[in-house]
Amino acid sequence: MQVSEIISWLINLLFYKPEVFCPIFYPGLVTILALLIFIIWLERKIAAKVQLRYGPLYVTRKAGGILQLLADLLRYMFQEPIIPKTVDKIAFIAGPVLLFATAYVPAALLPATAEFTGLRSELSLLAVLALLTLAPIFDIIIGWGSNNKFSLIGSMREGYIVMSYEIPMFLSTLAIAMVYGSLNIVEIVEMQSRCWGILLNPIAAATFLLVALISTARFPFEIAEAETEIVMGPYTEYSGILYGLLMGASYVKFYVLSMLFALLFLGGWHPSITWLEKIHPAAPGLVVFIKALIIMVFGIFLRAVYPRFRVDQAIRVGWHLLFMLSMLSIAYSLAVIWLVG
Amino acid sequence: MSERTIELYIGPQHPGSGHMRFDITLDGDIIVKAEPSIGYVHRSVEKIAETKTYIQIAPLVERPSLADTVNPNLGYILALEKLLGIEAPPRAQYLRTLAAEANRIHSHFYGIGILGIMLGSSTAFMWAFADREIMIELLQMLTGARITYSYVIPGGVRRDLPVGFKEAAEKALRYLERRLKDYEKLFFENPVTVARLKGVGVLKKEDAIALGIVGPNLRASGVHYDVRRIEPYAAYDDLDFEVVVKKEGDSYARLMARVEEIKQSMRIIRQVLEKIPDGPILHEKYYKMIPPKTRKQIEETGRLKFPAAFATLKPPKGEALSRVEGARGEFLYYVVSDGSPRPYRFRMVSPSFRNVWLFAHLLPGHRLADIPAIYGSIDYFPPCADR
Repeated sequence: MQVSEIISWLINLLFYKPEVFCPIFYPGLVTILALLIFIIWLERKIAAKVQLRYGPLYVTRKAGGILQLLADLLRYMFQEPIIPKTVDKIAFIAGPVLLFATAYVPAALLPATAEFTGLRSELSLLAVLALLTLAPIFDIIIGWGSNNKFSLIGSMREGYIVMSYEIPMFLSTLAIAMVYGSLNIVEIVEMQSRCWGILLNPIAAATFLLVALISTARFPFEIAEAETEIVMGPYTEYSGILYGLLMGASYVKFYVLSMLFALLFLGGWHPSITWLEKIHPAAPGLVVFIKALIIMVFGIFLRAVYPRFRVDQAIRVGWHLLFMLSMLSIAYSLAVIWLVG
Repeated sequence: MSERTIELYIGPQHPGSGHMRFDITLDGDIIVKAEPSIGYVHRSVEKIAETKTYIQIAPLVERPSLADTVNPNLGYILALEKLLGIEAPPRAQYLRTLAAEANRIHSHFYGIGILGIMLGSSTAFMWAFADREIMIELLQMLTGARITYSYVIPGGVRRDLPVGFKEAAEKALRYLERRLKDYEKLFFENPVTVARLKGVGVLKKEDAIALGIVGPNLRASGVHYDVRRIEPYAAYDDLDFEVVVKKEGDSYARLMARVEEIKQSMRIIRQVLEKIPDGPILHEKYYKMIPPKTRKQIEETGRLKFPAAFATLKPPKGEALSRVEGARGEFLYYVVSDGSPRPYRFRMVSPSFRNVWLFAHLLPGHRLADIPAIYGSIDYFPPCADR
């Protein structure tokens, strides 16, 4: 009896306590790892399709090579991470770990459904936004710690780009929060049951989407790692699992931003499928995930279409276009509030 | 070196440098000084040529320039023919033109692909390298080899047109014409490509002449200069084509000049296949040396067997100079014969060697990210420069 009690307590803790389930399973770590494997495979497959190639094929040939990324991940795990003598050791090793962690933490705070959420707070949107701004600092730290000119140039580029997109990101998110009069993600989603945020403020939605592309180095904004210019940017000196973490971090951030976009602008878990709740209380949250996945597929498809911008052009997009758009979205929100009330 | 600037060594082991090094001095993101450092793949073609017989040099001169092989081959053979005092029969001249233009097309696709990947467009890279294959297959049908054809030989060409070549060529050209429209949508008129290339690396007309730039890079700066027109060789005199000239002189003009040249080359290939005269493919002086039995076999298969005299070609004492318009620009050959089976002096000037100084001239004042854009637009190939 004792053992079965412990097991049922453990299952209850792991699967039915949102404070534990959300960070670990959905929308947290497990989902992220599965998604990483899937989305990178899909990115390579889509690009291959456009470019008249096969893409990953030989690992699990029958399933179109879907486990290729798992094989790559294992290789990264067991490969020796080479740490050059000239680097700042603490920054070099701690940087990637903290970068991945800070990219992941905001995901743990996202709600799965209205009732099932890891963080219950009136200011959950602010918490997610604040945590999102942490990650780029580590990008700059590893560029400095690598003691390599290409790394340094890459991280400086990253720094400039961060400065140009962060204000539009905050303003466009706050614009939609203004319309709903709340900083609680759950409340914002609940209010979208009638009208999605993208219809209420399309300018904010467009701005946020562009910011998501810039901040996660999707094409045409893959600038900090521009291979033909600065080798691998901040990641030049990395190998093994440390490199794997760095590569994963930008996809994790893209996932968080896509989830946030789905929650704020695409109605979150509405239209809600109530019968899914019988399977698991978090299951209706799959609607959010599917919406986020569509955004991500759009983002990775751009790799097959665009070359990359120059860093000054990207910064110009940030300050001249996105900043103006985000100001406009605030004005638009004020107009909506004034008209509709 | 002041404290404001940093020195950056790009290459020779860098994903964007090719087999060479750039010594870049940067002030922030702006390039103050750029020095191309070449010689990493020097193979000493000129010295090796002095130790080889004349027919052995034909495959040797193709090696430096991988993408463009018929033209260097043709240029050398033209110089050799001047020494020997012979000229190829008209059908061979047309076949030489055909091979040279097909090669020009696939070389330009190579250049477009490299520019694509340098700007980060992997799709343009993959497409261009796949479509380059169309012309390689066509040349394989004609010559039997994929890249280094050694198709042009003293007094003629190695093989006659195979059966069904005309249809295959027409099919290939129509396919490429269709594909070029796709390229336009995805790459040439892509707003990001235009933003990266327009107004970047502007080469003024006077500078282009003063620096001795050749090929599409020169013509993209508004200079009407093409060896095919100025000193016609092979069958170019009989054919109708336009010399592509652009006024702007920026990277985008250089890219588009290549695209237009692809279209002109297609026009030339169509004309060659229409107008090609009947007749022998080897100068009769050498054709007579082939035994009658083998001659009959050659007439049946269209595949030449070399006469034994080729092994010990001894041009009379003298010197010869020849020029051809390669895909990347003008190839120049200067061959001195002292009457022995080996050249006394062999000089080969490749277009990339003349274009390499563009880096030092164009890069200063631009941003670090413009290096790949300018590099790709020049269609520079280090082994071609180093020889």
